[in-house]
Amino acid sequence: MSPRDQLYEGGELVDEAQLARRADRRDSLLTAGTFLTLLVLWTAVTGSGLWAPLVNPIFLPSPVAVGDAFVRLAEQGYQGKSLLHHVSVSLYRFAMAFTVCILIGVPLGLLMGMMRPVRAVFEPPIQAIRPIPKLALLPLFLIWFGIGNLSKIIVISAPVLPLIAIGAMQAVRSVSQKKIQAAQALGASTWTIFWRVVLPASLPGIFTAIRMSISIGVTMLVAAELTATSDGIAWMALTASEYLATDVVLVGVAIMATLGYALDRAFRTLELSIVHWSGKD
Amino acid sequence: MTIEPIDLDTPERRASAKLVVAGLSKTFGSGAGAIEALAPTNLSLARGDFLCVVGPSGCGKTTLLNIVAGFERPSAGHVELDGRQITRPGAERGVVFQQGALFNWMSVLENVAFGPRAGGTSAAPAREQARALLDLVGLAAFADKYPYQLSGGMQQRVGIARALANDPEILLMDEPFAALDQQTRELLQEEIAKIWRTTGKTVLWITHSIEEALFLATHIVVMTARPGRIKAAFRVRFSEHEDPLVSATPEFVAARREIFGLLRSESQRAQRLEVEA
Repeated sequence: MSPRDQLYEGGELVDEAQLARRADRRDSLLTAGTFLTLLVLWTAVTGSGLWAPLVNPIFLPSPVAVGDAFVRLAEQGYQGKSLLHHVSVSLYRFAMAFTVCILIGVPLGLLMGMMRPVRAVFEPPIQAIRPIPKLALLPLFLIWFGIGNLSKIIVISAPVLPLIAIGAMQAVRSVSQKKIQAAQALGASTWTIFWRVVLPASLPGIFTAIRMSISIGVTMLVAAELTATSDGIAWMALTASEYLATDVVLVGVAIMATLGYALDRAFRTLELSIVHWSGKD
Repeated sequence: MTIEPIDLDTPERRASAKLVVAGLSKTFGSGAGAIEALAPTNLSLARGDFLCVVGPSGCGKTTLLNIVAGFERPSAGHVELDGRQITRPGAERGVVFQQGALFNWMSVLENVAFGPRAGGTSAAPAREQARALLDLVGLAAFADKYPYQLSGGMQQRVGIARALANDPEILLMDEPFAALDQQTRELLQEEIAKIWRTTGKTVLWITHSIEEALFLATHIVVMTARPGRIKAAFRVRFSEHEDPLVSATPEFVAARREIFGLLRSESQRAQRLEVEA
């Protein structure tokens, strides 16, 4: 049993696990209900071969047609490349961008939170860059970084890096002063206070920043594959729309939505297993 | 047996003192917006004294503790512990906070072992020491739990064990039981009295509660409303009796009434200050 499932009150163990499990099951049912309702509405409007569609299939193909398109794409690929290739190319760009953003953004944010001079140097430019629509910089990135994967990775990183860095900085700055004072009064050095108090106390906030930036990263994937490429899952959806192949567009959209959702869940699971103290103050 | 007025700033007391607070004052801000939290204050504590400071909110009693702990710098005056002037936090002064100062990412045992580890003790002896202290505060069975899994009273016990782990020269307690319910508070007060008797530590204890002060202290200081200064100081002997029911004696009730009378007008003044602010 994980620590979260137990609660001690006055020395007595209250087993809340069963109550929590029941609530979880009810939540899952409600969520499944939401998706089922959407699917039913979608089927009703488009007919799905059962009755005449109310909407022209060019605007909205039926779930069955989208499923067929997925099978077709999986078997025959898209524009000479397999569906798996398109998915892995996009995943590669996304993963590279996120790895770089976490490796640079988290340490930078921690330093900004800990040291005023570092904050004075980096925070104003980062805050100034944040409101710029990164899509407007796309042509510049292509000129500067070429048409290869590098420019795609930079396009995705452009909004994600500031978000993670500022998130990590704010996480550090909101660490309770009392905990730091407690560590000081116990004789801890600045270095010990950073590693054993500030960093662990900031981790929940850092995880939140990373999870928030996942959806922005998926959005930027579309921007990154807008031009100067001939593969990727967003590129597939974008080019298919030019041919009014709405079913292929929807397959691409569904894959990106799944990707974003799965990544968010994966980080949530990681968060729960690492920062079990999240929200316990 | 009753309380006797006492001067905590005599040359004799100062000569043999463990802790000396000399001309200590603190003003926050400057110019027109400056707020004088603590007016120049003098007092001396002998080794083994248990001083409770009571006063209305905003009377600077926490400021006094923060300066002794080294978290804040005084505007004037200074604090000496064993003849050495205090300039920053240090392991020879153990601090217990009201709540929320435990490290939730460490087990209870690791929390208590944190001080010795930070002081350079290697892991195994530090853990042994921590286990002994958890035994002392009655939490031996909870060593491997995390602080957030414990009740408020148990968390305060962890805080006390953690502060004791460095074997400090003085314990600084900032309203440690203020967030607890009455029953838990009374039980913990008895245990603190027991721990104080066994360890013989010098204690500076900030509290709102007159009963708590009378029950635990060897000396009580009553502070005025802002700017805080010492309004009265007493020698107290109720804690010598090791009797949890001492609070029912007529002497205790009379002492309680005397201090309540001193505090009441200050609390009223503190409220007026708050309304004006």
